Amino acid sequence: MTVDADWTIVVPVKQVPDADDVTIDPETGTLNRSDAPAVLNAPDYNAVEAALSLRERAGGEVVAVTMGPPFARAVLETAVALGADDAVLLTDRAFGGSDTWPTSLALARAADELDADVVVCGEESTDSSTGQVPPGIAAHNGWAQLTYAEELEPRPDDDELVAVRDVEGGHERVAAETPVVVAFEYGENEPRAAGLHRKIYAETEFEPEEWSAEDLGISEQVGLVNSPTKVGGMDTADPVEREQAVVDDVDALSDRITEVTADD
Amino acid sequence: MTDDDTVHEDVWVFVEEHGGDVAGVSWELLAKGRELADETGEDLVALVVGEGVDDVGAEAVERGADRALVADDPVFEPYRAGPYGDQFRALVEERRPSIVLIGGTTTGRDFAGRVAVPADAGLTADCTELDVDDEGLLLARRPTFGGDAMATIKCPDHRPQMATVRAGVFDAAERDPDRDGDVEAVDVVVEADDALSRVLEREVGDVADITDADVVVAGGGGTEGDFAPVEALADALDGEVAASRKAVDEGWVEPARQVGQTGKTVRPDLYVAAGISGAVQHVEGMNDAETVVAVNTDPNAPIFEHADYGIVGDLHEVLPELTDRLGGRSPPEPTA
Ligand SMILES: Cc1cc2nc3c(=O)[nH]c(=O)nc-3n(C[C@H](O)[C@H](O)[C@H](O)COP(=O)(O)OP(=O)(O)OC[C@H]3O[C@@H](n4cnc5c(N)ncnc54)[C@H](O)[C@@H]3O)c2cc1C
Ligand SMILES: Nc1ncnc2c1ncn2[C@@H]1O[C@H](COP(=O)(O)O)[C@@H](O)[C@H]1O
Repeated sequence: MTVDADWTIVVPVKQVPDADDVTIDPETGTLNRSDAPAVLNAPDYNAVEAALSLRERAGGEVVAVTMGPPFARAVLETAVALGADDAVLLTDRAFGGSDTWPTSLALARAADELDADVVVCGEESTDSSTGQVPPGIAAHNGWAQLTYAEELEPRPDDDELVAVRDVEGGHERVAAETPVVVAFEYGENEPRAAGLHRKIYAETEFEPEEWSAEDLGISEQVGLVNSPTKVGGMDTADPVEREQAVVDDVDALSDRITEVTADD
Repeated sequence: MTDDDTVHEDVWVFVEEHGGDVAGVSWELLAKGRELADETGEDLVALVVGEGVDDVGAEAVERGADRALVADDPVFEPYRAGPYGDQFRALVEERRPSIVLIGGTTTGRDFAGRVAVPADAGLTADCTELDVDDEGLLLARRPTFGGDAMATIKCPDHRPQMATVRAGVFDAAERDPDRDGDVEAVDVVVEADDALSRVLEREVGDVADITDADVVVAGGGGTEGDFAPVEALADALDGEVAASRKAVDEGWVEPARQVGQTGKTVRPDLYVAAGISGAVQHVEGMNDAETVVAVNTDPNAPIFEHADYGIVGDLHEVLPELTDRLGGRSPPEPTA
């Protein structure tokens, strides 16, 4: 075995508005995302943890990647503080307004550029919540994919990654050839806390690399104009009216339930 | 179908089948797809992929499809993203549908991108409402930010217009044995050797359908793993047991019973949420319930804002008492 058997593990992480602080402008019906502090997408903590744990077992290095505005570097610092070895910021005005098609293209090119053996994504982002970016990365590169993964078992000597996947009504164990894109299930591992030294390093010394759309050779394929889907409107959902009555005892509650379930 | 490759027509619905069982959401999409196709004056086409699935194609016709396309081959069993995606993509590029609807199951979400990306199609995730405008453009609506807002997504310049759709939001299409339509076997373009992955084991148990139940009793983290009171109440009310994602992640309840953004949408007359905090991702899946009852020890739990009747109390006391009053058998008292 050569040292080449060590894996390069790429973790795409996303900066999202803190969901608890997003408000809706009652006048325009649009989201005030800008008020909310930006944080690392919660499911991506699970992805970073899964990547670090793979590195511990397979050897190699973990590189965090994000596509976003310059200030999105904050999530790369978080990833480095948690233990990622390195990080790349994909930032360019040209990326603005990208839907999942160009977003996954940019991440796919970056993963290819980094010579990734394994790409570990989160299950979903809490702001766009599509879950489409991980299969999109795999599709752009023609790589294998393992979505809804709950457990990972590296087999670097066989160039394989085995995953336990959640499937409708059960589970399956699947072996995939590397390079492979994983979407790790939210909540399926215990993300570690950042160590103090690492945290200080991430905040004071660490500088991510920066790549533009041109560096990736995709200037003509990204951004709003190259996004097949367009947001045609946003409106506040009609809030569901609920009585919000608090009943004091079980008798009253059982009467209500009997009324509701009575055959009409 | 014409030879002009700029023309895209027809509404396609992917009929998801595993080992002979069809996912409930597929029949729901067939009902909705029928409405959309009638509106645009196009055909409704069911797409079935699997092994030994001719009868599924025939059933799709009985449930409203004008045609069923069946790709039948051992390479499709069990499911893998590569073979499904490649086959589906080949058909989409050859036959050029205008709209393609796929159930938002783990399977549907897994392979949809493997079609949309290489086909340059627009793909909207996790829709809960579908419509077409005057020009036949699909209006795919989906909740964002935990259901506080609805976004309408369009795909003006790319075809097909693809969408994954959450399970449980539409009524399933009924079966009509008198309906006529073709079941066409299509060429299989996938070679077994090309696959990038192999399934080592697969265990599928309960694929319970909670989306049709009139009564749903759901338990969450507050059960601390003891679902007996939840089951007893569900029994007494002739309803189905459901759960929050927390309870599913802990392994207390099968994933098929999860309600919420990444689970199912239920529309019962009565939804009981016991020991569930009321996180936005959960509430999204129960908003269509007629009446919501919440049982929680924390008077400030958000679930009370989404409930018609709430009771502040320990579910391990409240549920057995309720079950008693509603004429069911309470679970045996734990021996002290
Ligand atoms: C991308 C993403 C997708 C998600 N999708 C879903 C989804 O589809 N469905 C879903 O449910 N969640 C989903 N979640 C998770 C969601 O955010 C919450 O974490 C989850 O719903 C919490 O479950 P819970 O309320 O049962 O548990 P907890 O948060 O643990 O709450 C337990 C509740 O029980 C109460 N309690 C405790 N003891 C008792 C008792 N003895 N009697 C009565 N009450 C008691 C507590 O006061 C508390 O309110 C998702 C999260 C993310 C990030
Ligand atoms: N802009 C982005 N930069 C880096 N990673 C991303 C980005 N968008 C999505 N991802 C990754 O893809 C996963 C799924 O996101 P989504 O498809 O948006 O729901 C996330 O958990 C991230 O791992």
